[in-house]
Amino acid sequence: MRLGPGSRAGILAEMSDGETSAAISGEAAEGALAYLTEMSPDLRGGAILGSDGVVLAASDRPERWGEDAAALFAIADRAGPDPVEQVHIATEQGEVFALRHAGLVAIVVTERFALASLLFFDMRSVLRDLAAGGDGRGSDAA
Amino acid sequence: MGGDPMPPKPHRVLLDRVSGYADEAAAYMRRRRVARQPFARLYYADGRASDQAADSVLGGELFVAAGRLIEVAGKRPKQ
Repeated sequence: MRLGPGSRAGILAEMSDGETSAAISGEAAEGALAYLTEMSPDLRGGAILGSDGVVLAASDRPERWGEDAAALFAIADRAGPDPVEQVHIATEQGEVFALRHAGLVAIVVTERFALASLLFFDMRSVLRDLAAGGDGRGSDAA
Repeated sequence: MGGDPMPPKPHRVLLDRVSGYADEAAAYMRRRRVARQPFARLYYADGRASDQAADSVLGGELFVAAGRLIEVAGKRPKQ
């Protein structure tokens, strides 16, 4: 069965940048989220989701993060024929950054006027490292 | 004759300074108004990006979904 991008389990079904080869442990994802929080002082909360849409780590209420992340990508994917890679939404109340990379999803909420390119860079490097079997900290872990 | 040109009248200096400050303030407010506009931007793997207008159906749904995420995240913990 082909999972559509609109379904929760299919949140990553249309990934084009390769799937992660190894199963990511919750502990590694928790560490990666903590590292992301440490690097981004504007960050209010976030979550990292696995290839099956399961929440691997969340700052709070993981089930809500899972549902809302899936809903966000489902809506975003309706904008065109291709799956969305990054979503950036700025509102008066805060900003949402979501990224699909290496078969994983990172989604965070920040204060207004967070530095988007830096945040996406950090999110991408954390996901890349997690997908490679690391703890999300990359070379900093050494 | 020649010599230094006449210095501007003091009230002219004051007026120029005040209107300079007013221009700065207006420019600041204009930049702030633009920067505070909400937006929803989608990026694709091939480098494309698209803005979704807040008054479009899709844009509206994106803002609702973002609002739910912002609500889940809550306020920033005190340092």
